[in-house]
Amino acid sequence: MMEFLDQLWSFSLDRETVYGLFQQSLVFVIGMTAVLASLGVVLCASPIYSALYLIGNMVCLALLFLLFNAEFLAVVQVVVYAGAVMILFLFIIALLGSKEEKRDLSFQNFMGLSFVGTLFCELLLAMTVGETQPVEGGVTPEVLAELGSAKAIGIELFSHHIVPFELASLLLLVAAVGIISLAKFTYKPLRKRTRT
Amino acid sequence: MGSEFILFVSAAIFSIGAVGFVVRKNPLVMFMSVELMLNAVNFLLIGYSSFLKSLDGQIFALVIMTVAAAEVVVGLAIILTIFRTRHELDVDRINVLKG
Repeated sequence: MMEFLDQLWSFSLDRETVYGLFQQSLVFVIGMTAVLASLGVVLCASPIYSALYLIGNMVCLALLFLLFNAEFLAVVQVVVYAGAVMILFLFIIALLGSKEEKRDLSFQNFMGLSFVGTLFCELLLAMTVGETQPVEGGVTPEVLAELGSAKAIGIELFSHHIVPFELASLLLLVAAVGIISLAKFTYKPLRKRTRT
Repeated sequence: MGSEFILFVSAAIFSIGAVGFVVRKNPLVMFMSVELMLNAVNFLLIGYSSFLKSLDGQIFALVIMTVAAAEVVVGLAIILTIFRTRHELDVDRINVLKG
């Protein structure tokens, strides 16, 4: 913090430093907003508010992807997650009716909270092992600017990672067949089947 | 700011998602918590891919997004089928798969 103020008060700020500071503060603010939005998902009693908070969280994460040079994945995040998946969620919520659930802190909930709290503390401990520094040098700025574009990802995907790509298409096909068979062949309850 | 902030944000979102999955009783909100956890992992992969100047993390995140989309579609179809046969949506009371 003091370093930041020193840099701010000494009037020798060049363009790179200003951009770096601006990007870091943007990452901080948007990251904190994402954490708050995810808190809203868990704490809201009504599912429809949870879905709206989740959309906010995903948009924040897409902005963070943009700041980390992953333009293509930011677009995919907005289109696939905040568009398709969340619209599906909102349809299902509207179809099933959103009922507010009452809150009670039972023993099981307490056990779950303590388990996840332990998990979070372990993650924080793993965080303090050592700070990773970005890789410097060896990459020209032109290559760096192209790093997250659709072209670079396409080349990488179709040259080195062709098998996972094809497996993903197979997975989508299986999911489509699965939901059609779930939705089309309606399941009759067992009691009715034995009675007739 | 090094990688610490990325790790902190990712760990926080993942843990909040895990809390939501454990504590909430509505299966729709449980699915949303799973989405939160997947998103946290995606964020970590992309942050480190930007740090290490490598595209492998982004490819991995793309595959995770595909898997998440397929998983959500199948899960919501199953929830819908359960609601059709049992007319309730409390995971504490849905304890048998037999209709």
